[in-house]
Amino acid sequence: MATVFMKWLERRPQDYDRGIQLLTLGKLGSLQAQIVHHLIFEETRVLEIGCGTGELTLIMAQAGAEVTAIDISPPMLAEAERKVDQAGLADRVEFKVLDAALVGDHFDGGSFELIVSSLTFSEMTTQVRAYVLKTCLTLLAQGGRLAILDEVLPEKLAARLFYSAVRIPLRFLTWLLTRTTTHPLRDFTTTLSHAGYTTEVIASELGGSLQLMIASPGKEPGGMAFPRTVLGRLQHHTSLRTLLIDIWATFFRILPPYPKIEPGLYAVGRPDPNSVVLVTGNFDLTVRRLVQAIEGKVSAWVLVVDSAGINVWCAAGGGFLNAERVIGALRVSELEEIVHHRDLILPQLCANGVDGWLIRREASWEVHWGPVRAEDLPDYLVAGKDKTDAMRWVRFPLKDRLEMVTATLGFYGLIILIPVAIFLRELFWPIFISLVGLSYFYAVIHPWLPGRDGLMKSLPLALIALAGLATYVLLWEPLPWPRIFNWSLGLIGLSVFTAAELQGMSPRMRGEQANWGWEVIIVAALGLTYWLVPQALGWR
Amino acid sequence: MTEGPTLRSLIGEHWNLARTLRKLEIRFDPERCSGVWECYEVCPVDCWEPDYEGSVVIFHHGERCIACGACVLQCPEGAIELEVPGG
Repeated sequence: MATVFMKWLERRPQDYDRGIQLLTLGKLGSLQAQIVHHLIFEETRVLEIGCGTGELTLIMAQAGAEVTAIDISPPMLAEAERKVDQAGLADRVEFKVLDAALVGDHFDGGSFELIVSSLTFSEMTTQVRAYVLKTCLTLLAQGGRLAILDEVLPEKLAARLFYSAVRIPLRFLTWLLTRTTTHPLRDFTTTLSHAGYTTEVIASELGGSLQLMIASPGKEPGGMAFPRTVLGRLQHHTSLRTLLIDIWATFFRILPPYPKIEPGLYAVGRPDPNSVVLVTGNFDLTVRRLVQAIEGKVSAWVLVVDSAGINVWCAAGGGFLNAERVIGALRVSELEEIVHHRDLILPQLCANGVDGWLIRREASWEVHWGPVRAEDLPDYLVAGKDKTDAMRWVRFPLKDRLEMVTATLGFYGLIILIPVAIFLRELFWPIFISLVGLSYFYAVIHPWLPGRDGLMKSLPLALIALAGLATYVLLWEPLPWPRIFNWSLGLIGLSVFTAAELQGMSPRMRGEQANWGWEVIIVAALGLTYWLVPQALGWR
Repeated sequence: MTEGPTLRSLIGEHWNLARTLRKLEIRFDPERCSGVWECYEVCPVDCWEPDYEGSVVIFHHGERCIACGACVLQCPEGAIELEVPGG
């Protein structure tokens, strides 16, 4: 069931189109048309950074441009390609799956008369933005220009207040409907001028929050203050922020927004050019646990790669963390200028999505698969990057099981207990105690239950729950038979739900994806019987 | 504008995904193995065992496989595949 929920969270190309349409109240199209109107002529060579589903790509190609369109997301590109093919313009557009940070590696200097980007710069980190702007200077031909269409935070206070009042509810609504959102750029004309461009805002919509900017390389290119590529030193610390994040992560870890830190290069301890480079994702908890594990033992460079704030295993499995992302982060951080070696240590658990050979081939960095758990890193490094089998295989000790049960209970507790509190208030506490009790009990006895399948594991759990009910009836409160029968159905339903759902938390199994279908059917049947039969017969 | 996924299509898709996921098995072609042992290096559930004499790798614990796909992605020879047997 969690799978369906996660799938729903996953943004699809069609959702993206609808979401953007809604968020920009349909005004994006008219600004895109202005780009075509002002800047596209027959055979203009255009690079489009972040083409998404290809709305702008299509109209530029229709106007006669020769477009090279890049995007990091293969499904988005596929949708864009479909649109362009349908219009019979396939020979005018070349599509490429590429991270914006890598454009300098793939195209020759002076290749384009126009570089366009629609709602993409606002998705980049400050550092990537500055790096891409610098690269664009070299890619533009003589007299070439950069057209940026993006959401900006209005500068005047009144406009900003109005923007927030309209934006926040609209964003929430759009996210619910399509899982699409945007982030406004702050003070972008200053960023552009630091990067060596002269900028003109030629059109805007939505109270100035959606702007079309045209930037031309200044007379003296390269006069920009490129930020230091090391973002700072990471130290283990406790603050109100970490406390709040910890509380959130304890109960609602599977729900977005995922707490994240700014991707980029950081130092832990006092690293020098010979220190190791550790790669990780940008989930706040991951980074903090990594720092806690190595601080005081190892000085290292930590390259935090944008994984959408998701842990490395799920991010790599879900396509959020891949080799292109890692290579992009390497470029932006200019790591090869900082260290004297070419060795990267990646978490072993991202090997399901990060192609190690692509990094070796394309970026000439050697990839070492580090231990599964961050706490093994110091020993692994002392042993000369030699991994023992114990570091290689996932463990699922009691502490982890309790942590995962709590994290899933927060969410499932809400899904089950809110309806119960509304429709079955008199049974709230018995159901609450059964759910929480069964979940923790399951977490404790999990390794000793037979089978690898959540449904199989739910059988002994249900038997134990029924034994508990029998004990209760015999020792404390003799219940009439129909109620005992009904309670049994409820407890079996809860056992199946608990065992099947929580099976997904175990790293040793094929997740709950594998049997969610039967689980939902069984739980729904038992739950409905439990709820409706007494109502129909008038016991309640 | 294309329609987004309906609840029904999502459920159908997941029903099929779940069926596939349950059945996926590793297919390993030892002939193509060049013995880099990346599969052993990345497998989190101990499915692979290096064969030090033959400089290849042995797939010895298929029942533990969680179909994560790490070995498939990291094999430089494309000797490993995840497939539904017979399908």
